[in-house]
Amino acid sequence: MKDNQKFNTYQTPSWCPGCGNFGIWYALKSAYTELGFDNNDVCMVFGIGCSGNLSNFIKVYGFHSIHGRTLPVASGIKLANHKLNVVATSGDGDGLGIGLGHFIHTCRRNIDITYIIHDNRVYGLTTGQTSPTSPQGFQSKSTPFGVIEQPINPLALAIIQGATFVARGYSGEIDHLTSLIIQAIKHKGFAVIDVLQPCVTFNPNFSYPFYNPRVFKLEDAGHNPEDFNNALKYALDVNNDKIPIGIFYKISKPTYEESSEELRDKPLSEYDISDISISELIEEIRES
Amino acid sequence: MNKLFSRGSDALAMAAIDSGLKFYAGYPITPQNDIPEFLSRELPKVGGTFVQAESEVASINMLLGASSCGFRVMTSSSSPGISLMQEGISYLAGSELPAVIVNVSRWGPGLGGIGASQGDYHQATKGGGHGDYFIPVFAPYSVQEMYDLTVKAFDVADKYRTPALILADVMISLMRETLIRRYPEGIKPPEKSWAFGERKGERQKIIKSLYLKGNELEVHNWKLHKKFEEMKKNEILFDKYLCDDADIIIVAFGMVARVARSTIELARENGLKLGLFRPISLVPYPEEELFSLTKTCKNFFVIEMNTGQMLYDVMRILGRNVNIRFYGKPSSYVPTPDDLFNKAKELFNI
Ligand SMILES: Cc1ncc(C[n+]2csc(CCOP(=O)(O)OP(=O)(O)O)c2C)c(N)n1
Repeated sequence: MKDNQKFNTYQTPSWCPGCGNFGIWYALKSAYTELGFDNNDVCMVFGIGCSGNLSNFIKVYGFHSIHGRTLPVASGIKLANHKLNVVATSGDGDGLGIGLGHFIHTCRRNIDITYIIHDNRVYGLTTGQTSPTSPQGFQSKSTPFGVIEQPINPLALAIIQGATFVARGYSGEIDHLTSLIIQAIKHKGFAVIDVLQPCVTFNPNFSYPFYNPRVFKLEDAGHNPEDFNNALKYALDVNNDKIPIGIFYKISKPTYEESSEELRDKPLSEYDISDISISELIEEIRES
Repeated sequence: MNKLFSRGSDALAMAAIDSGLKFYAGYPITPQNDIPEFLSRELPKVGGTFVQAESEVASINMLLGASSCGFRVMTSSSSPGISLMQEGISYLAGSELPAVIVNVSRWGPGLGGIGASQGDYHQATKGGGHGDYFIPVFAPYSVQEMYDLTVKAFDVADKYRTPALILADVMISLMRETLIRRYPEGIKPPEKSWAFGERKGERQKIIKSLYLKGNELEVHNWKLHKKFEEMKKNEILFDKYLCDDADIIIVAFGMVARVARSTIELARENGLKLGLFRPISLVPYPEEELFSLTKTCKNFFVIEMNTGQMLYDVMRILGRNVNIRFYGKPSSYVPTPDDLFNKAKELFNI
């Protein structure tokens, strides 16, 4: 056990016993501890869903945002003060359903944000409807005859749309997940971690007994994360009985902040505007 | 006649099916998930389509499409989801497309909470989206009314080619009581010659809400307004309870009116003559009917589960020559009959 008490709040998590969110919670606190963070070094942005309840259980700056809008809110925070480490989290419904458009645009912007998707393949907080990552045929409260649509592939989307760090974690492998989160936070650019997160209550078929025998680590398979084609091949290989976890893709590219002239030197929050005078500008307009 | 012991949400969904609902699109949100869950099971059995969309924005836009094909369409959501739909509702109104929208409202602003609330009165009754329009709004206060007013909403939506809104709440939606499932005879969806695929066209059919030429838009806006004037003549619904001899008349809608009825009984047992005026159609509002009560009563007690929204309408309608008091409860805790009785005594110095 690591000493990550510093990031606890006085609240005990209200998730169901066995929920995969516990693993993500623990891994996040451990990652912050290992990175030597203070409570005010990180700003987390939460979506709406069971995953969003995390806002009450982890002691850092926290913005509990609108359903599906974590990434625009996180982008606003990062662009206003890019000295903060910004970590955004969403459920699969939040981030890949209602918020999917924002996800794709944040990938292409390559802002230096870490984004963790709590992917339980179901709508948890609203008690068990189909989600964008539910498999075809999935029977749920809102799809009694089975899901017709093909699921969203978050990793493949992130890779082809410009994210510069793309990984999959598993909340049953906490040390591995901790290491992924540390690397994602250290990475400069948009870092996505899709976390296999069992929902033992509303999606029991995709729980620990399903994942444990199937997951394997990409690093053990000798995968080179700079290899775009191989990364995409692993991301697209969804029908295999083996499920890779680890870093799929990682490249170095300028971030949005580094490419923006106003932001390159210092964050917006550090610009001194106390003695800005606009009289000259007004004179100029008058004369013209 | 079919007598059932039903939940409000099921009553509403059954009414939609009995009304010939053919297309439902929605997105999960508490506390209205029981409506889509019912329809996801039952609608396919009667040849209808149920879709869980990727968001409320997608849902309302799917309604724009399905309604333009002439089908009876519906969506349901709760407050934050209804906010997201407002652009689409404005477009439905502007393009004169019938649709039924159900708001099982919850607490705001923002994420708020999931308890019973009447915080969306302004949004529901004053347009909600952008532009110069009103849509009919009905506020059920019983399981039976969840059924009857849904039937009514479909009928009014088709008759005036307008979206119509049911403003419900979680109390009415999740409680169970007796329901008589009776679809009124003689109500039939009208022919929709304007819809796509209805008639092989001589003319090109375009459904739009964009008017750029000359005074086209002004003409269009007056046309929408005229429909609203017609609704005022024909579609007003209200309920009065023991108003004739009342010293104080409570004005309340939805679940609060429900509590008010018990308050009135309690008050009368204790010698205080209370009455109740309950608007059922919030748009068009029963203005004349409310105003006519000032002939016999000068004391009006507005009660809402918000900080005072319908209050503005009541003040506008009744003017300054009567005594209006307000009690608001902007939280999920529904006031009890005792609470309201004590408030009445306190606010009217009895
Ligand atoms: C605009 C809006 N629509 C719907 C909801 C209701 N809602 C709350 S959480 C949620 C989705 C939950 O699923 P997911 O994002 O997968 O997260 P989980 O609860 O499984 O962690 C929804 C639809 C909402 N809060 N706001």
